Amino acid sequence: MARPARSILSLQAATLGERQLSTTTTRIDLELPRGGATLVQVDDEIDAVALVDLCIGLAAPTDGQVRFLGVDWQARGARERLTRRRRIGTVVQTHVWPAHMSVLESVLVARFYHFDRPREEVIAEATALARLFGLPGLPVGRRETTPRRALVRAACVRGFLGAPDLIVVQDQSLEATADLAVPMAQAIAEALDRGATVLWIVESLAAEAARFVTAEQVFRLGDHGLVQVRRR
Amino acid sequence: MAPTTYSFDRGRIRRALGGLGAIVRQGTSNLLLFVSFSATVLVVASRRSTWRRPVWLEFKRMLNNVAVRSLSTTVATGLLIGVALVSQAVYWLAATGQTGLVGQVIVILLIRELVPILVGLLIFGRNGTATLIELGEAHTGGWLRLFEIQGLDPMVLLVVPRALAFALGAFCMATVLLLSTLLTGYLIAHGLGLIAYSIWDFSDMVQRAMTVRDFIVPPLKCIFIGFFVALVCCATGLGRRDEGDELQRIVPRGFVRSALAILVINGVFDLVG
Repeated sequence: MARPARSILSLQAATLGERQLSTTTTRIDLELPRGGATLVQVDDEIDAVALVDLCIGLAAPTDGQVRFLGVDWQARGARERLTRRRRIGTVVQTHVWPAHMSVLESVLVARFYHFDRPREEVIAEATALARLFGLPGLPVGRRETTPRRALVRAACVRGFLGAPDLIVVQDQSLEATADLAVPMAQAIAEALDRGATVLWIVESLAAEAARFVTAEQVFRLGDHGLVQVRRR
Repeated sequence: MAPTTYSFDRGRIRRALGGLGAIVRQGTSNLLLFVSFSATVLVVASRRSTWRRPVWLEFKRMLNNVAVRSLSTTVATGLLIGVALVSQAVYWLAATGQTGLVGQVIVILLIRELVPILVGLLIFGRNGTATLIELGEAHTGGWLRLFEIQGLDPMVLLVVPRALAFALGAFCMATVLLLSTLLTGYLIAHGLGLIAYSIWDFSDMVQRAMTVRDFIVPPLKCIFIGFFVALVCCATGLGRRDEGDELQRIVPRGFVRSALAILVINGVFDLVG
């Protein structure tokens, strides 16, 4: 009998910390197979951020396990956890940019930090992604001088750059940006084609931006954990 | 006559001692934390794997800020100190007929004591405050979390390049400050007719007054001062964790800590050397 493909990310009875909108303990079971997209609706943004932190090993579950590529995040030291995150792309906190770097440097820094690829190659890939997301090129200015619209798109480039194994998307401003729907769906489809896994945590499954994404699994975070839902 | 009685308020004494103990424990704990932080920075900096491309770029950016962009400030300070110190020293030594001591006075005052302290204060004023403000919003602005999400180690990417750039930059600044001070002092004293010998004789006089120790200890002092000013600023900046702790308050806090670090290092080198 063929063994099932190993999950990229696996949450096994992982317990979220205290939640604002629920008094019960929330245990999450979630398997993200390679090459699949998953949508999870989380009503409260604080819970959504907590779920992201749990998935990428930034926060430890109160109970249970979170495994990335078969390895429990908590079984590794802080330094190794940082190194393992090089294989995760994140589109989160699109409004947050370091004060001392230009937007361009900030988009590229993780690629150059973790990998020894030629600069021209990385810039070419980033520029192609920037065009996909509707930018004429990569923004080179500081965050203060870059329009909000360009910053959101640059954050998308940052998340998809470097062909990561897992892409986690969570930012409410993405859902409010209707003209990002098609480029986002296209970027996700391309990532899935090369075998990446996508987890998009949305505030509402009815959001315009998430409408075009073909998801294998769709959930809603309820009081007692994830509940599978059907999209119309 | 009734005997005089002294009533001791035991509760108050106990509270005072408790308060003193808490301050001592907190101070010791902070000091140990800072020592372990410094040791970690040195260990991380010595690893070859630390020196990835963005870390090199950050190091070069900081070194450019400290050593190159501070050049005009350093030279201007050197001019002012030169006018005030060297010309005064030469004037008073000439007045007392002790011009032969000019080299020794300059070595002791300027090279051993004044330059390292001035470099520490200059480096804090120009670059330390910028670091405090930059890193002071790392937590509250959310970009420290963003770094961790991307697997970027803040110690490697933020602290190590700053600490080493400040250390190397302090050495460069000290050299520029010293040369500009000596040159200005000589020109002023020569222009006023206080000394008649050539600049080469003046340079020879200063070098003869220097011992081997003076070629090692003052540069080391400057390097250590630069290194610790950077660590103090990084630790103070990254230590700001919520908006309630106002950004304006961390600059004076950083100044007090940096000034203390500069004086302590200066004192330790004077004692050991």
